[in-house]
Amino acid sequence: MTEKNIIELKGVEKRYGSFLAASGIDLDLRQGEFFSLLGPSGCGKTTVLRMIAGFQEPTQGAILIDGQDMAGVPANNRPTNMVFQSYAIFPHLNVANNVAYGLRGRVPKAEIDARVTEALEMVELGGLHQRGANELSGGQRQRVALARALIMRPKVLLLDEPLSALDKKLREQMQFEMRNLQQSLGITFVMVTHDQYEAMTMSDRIGVMFDGRLEQVDTPATLYARPCNRAVASFIGEMNILPATVLEETGGMLSIEAAGFGRMRIERNVNATDRARDIIVGIRPEQLEIKADKPADYPATLKGKISNVAFYGENIHYHVAVENIDKPIAVSVPNYFHTVDFNRGDAVWLGLQVASVIDLGKERKSSQREKT
Amino acid sequence: MFKPRSEAARGYALSSPATAYVGFLVAAPLVILITYSFWTQTYVTLDKTPTLGNYRAALSDPLVHHLMLRSIWIAGAVTLATVVLAYPIAYFIAMKARRKTIWLLLITIPFWSSYLLRVFAWKLILGFNGVMNSALLGLGLIDEPLDFLLYNEFAVVLTLAHAWAPFAILPIYVSLQKIDPSLLEAATDLGNSPLQRFLRVTLPLTVPGIIAASLIIFVPTVGDYVTPALVGGSDGKMIANLIQVQFGAANNWPLGATLSLLAMMSVGFVAIVFVIAGRGLGGRIR
Repeated sequence: MTEKNIIELKGVEKRYGSFLAASGIDLDLRQGEFFSLLGPSGCGKTTVLRMIAGFQEPTQGAILIDGQDMAGVPANNRPTNMVFQSYAIFPHLNVANNVAYGLRGRVPKAEIDARVTEALEMVELGGLHQRGANELSGGQRQRVALARALIMRPKVLLLDEPLSALDKKLREQMQFEMRNLQQSLGITFVMVTHDQYEAMTMSDRIGVMFDGRLEQVDTPATLYARPCNRAVASFIGEMNILPATVLEETGGMLSIEAAGFGRMRIERNVNATDRARDIIVGIRPEQLEIKADKPADYPATLKGKISNVAFYGENIHYHVAVENIDKPIAVSVPNYFHTVDFNRGDAVWLGLQVASVIDLGKERKSSQREKT
Repeated sequence: MFKPRSEAARGYALSSPATAYVGFLVAAPLVILITYSFWTQTYVTLDKTPTLGNYRAALSDPLVHHLMLRSIWIAGAVTLATVVLAYPIAYFIAMKARRKTIWLLLITIPFWSSYLLRVFAWKLILGFNGVMNSALLGLGLIDEPLDFLLYNEFAVVLTLAHAWAPFAILPIYVSLQKIDPSLLEAATDLGNSPLQRFLRVTLPLTVPGIIAASLIIFVPTVGDYVTPALVGGSDGKMIANLIQVQFGAANNWPLGATLSLLAMMSVGFVAIVFVIAGRGLGGRIR
C-alpha cells in the first residue's frame, strides 16, 4: 500500500427527489488498499459504490479516480470493474466466454485465451472453460464474476456484497482467498457489506455509514477500540452503553460518574467529537469479569443477577440485570473449561478495568435523514 | 359419495374434456383429411380405391409449386416485417415505459374489432381512391393515384404485419422483461457501449421470444386465406386460396385434402429448420 490516493470523493451527494441517499461524503482511498463500506441496509453504501462505478451520477460533489475527474464519464469508460451482488453471469455464455467478455474486440484472440486461462487459474477454476453458466455452483459463480472483472486489470475493483449469497463456511473461505488475491495483485478493492465480521477480517480500512452519511473511517482495530459514537460502537461488535456525567476534563483524561460503576477517570476519545457534560460510555462484553463473590482486584464493581445465558461455543454470553440500569449488561466469557458457571437467577458480581471504558461523547438523538 | 379411485383414473378424468376436444376437433378431421387424400374424385362420385394419384398430380403441378413457394415467401416476409417492427415497441415497453400495463392494453385495442373489418380498413387506406392516394394527391406529391398499393404481395404483407403485431410484441416483451438488469450493467461495466451491449446481451437473450413470435406468425400465415383473397389480387394468391377452390368451385375434395396435407408438411419442415437455426444462432453470439 502506498500513500497515493487512487479514489477521491469530495463532498459527494446523491439525492432522489427529496430523499438524500448519500450526503457529504469525503473519502480518500489509497492505492492498493482493501477498503470496505460498512453499514445497515439502506444506509447509502451501495449508492456510493455505484457512483464510483458510474452507474449513478452524484447530484453534488466530485469523484476522482487516479486524479481524473469522473464527471460525465460513462461506466463503460471508467477504469473500474465490478463484482455484482447477483454476480450477473451471462447465462448464454460459458465460463471462458463470460471471463473473456470485456476483452473481446480489444485484444488479439491468442492473448485473450492466455489471459482467460490465467484468470481462471487465479480464482481456482482452471479447466472449467467450457462449463455452462447454468451449471455453476454459487461459489463458482462468484469466482467467475471475480475473474471476469480482474481480467480487465482495473485500477479499482468494486465489490457489491460479494459474499452475501454464499453459505457461512464458503463465505469464510472466500474471505481469506479474496484477501490473499487482493494482496498479491496489489489492486485497490472497494467492498460494500453489511456484515461487520466480513469487513473486519478483510479490510485495511473500513468506512462506516449510517443514513447516507459516512460516520467514521478507520482501521478495524481503531473502529473497535475507539468508535466515534453509539451507532458505530453498536454496529461493530457488541457494546454495553451506560450514561455518564463528565465531572472534570484534564489533559486528555475525563473524570466521570458512570451509572452503576460510580466515579472513574477514563481516556478522552479523540474520535468522539460531539461533546457535552452528559455523555455515554461503552464497555465491550469481553472486557467485563463475572464472579460469584465481590472481586477484590477490580477498581469498579457492580452487583447484579443473571437474566439470560447464551451458549455460543467458543464463548458464553451472560446478560446481567443491574439495579438502576435499564438494559441488562452483556458479559462474554471465553469457554476455557467447557462449563457454564452461572445460571439464570444467580446473583453475581461484575468487575471492570477502567481502561476498557470507552468514551462515546454526547448521545446523539436517533438521526433523522435530512428531507427538504 | 365418491369411491377412492386410482391416481391414473383421476388423471384421465381431469384431462377428458381436453382429450375429447382434441380428439373430435383435431385428430378426427385430420384422419378424415388423410383418408380423402388417398381417394379420387370422378366427377360427382368418389372412387375409394387407395391411390397416391393426388400426391403425384399435386407435386408435378407447377401452379402448386408456385403457390406453395409464394405462400412460404409471403409468410417469411410477414414474419420478418412483423418481428422487426415489433421488437422496438416491445423494447420500449419493457425497458423504457413507465406504465407498461397501459401500453400493453393499447396494443391489444385493434383486437376489439373483427379481423375482417381491419382488412377492409386497409383496403380503404391503400385503394385506388383510398386514403393514401387522396392524401398524396392532395399534397401534390403525385399526379395520378398509385396503383401498386393494393392487390399484390405488398398489400398482403402490410396487412398481415399489422394484424400480427401484438403476437410478436408480447413474446418479445416477455423475454426482454426476464432479463436481469444487472446483466446489462455488467456488460456496461466491462466496457460495452449501449449498441454493443444490445447485440451481445439483450438480443441473444431474447432469441427465445423471437423464435416464439416467428412461429406464432409464420405457421398460420402460410395457410392464410382471407387476407390474400381480399387484398392480394391475382399476384397475392396463396396456397390456401387454391385449396379453397378445390373444396368449392372445383369440387375435388381429395385433391384439396392432399394440398392441405402438403401445406402442413411444408410448414412443419420450415418451422423445424427455423427453430434449429434459431437455437444455433442464439448460442453462437458472444
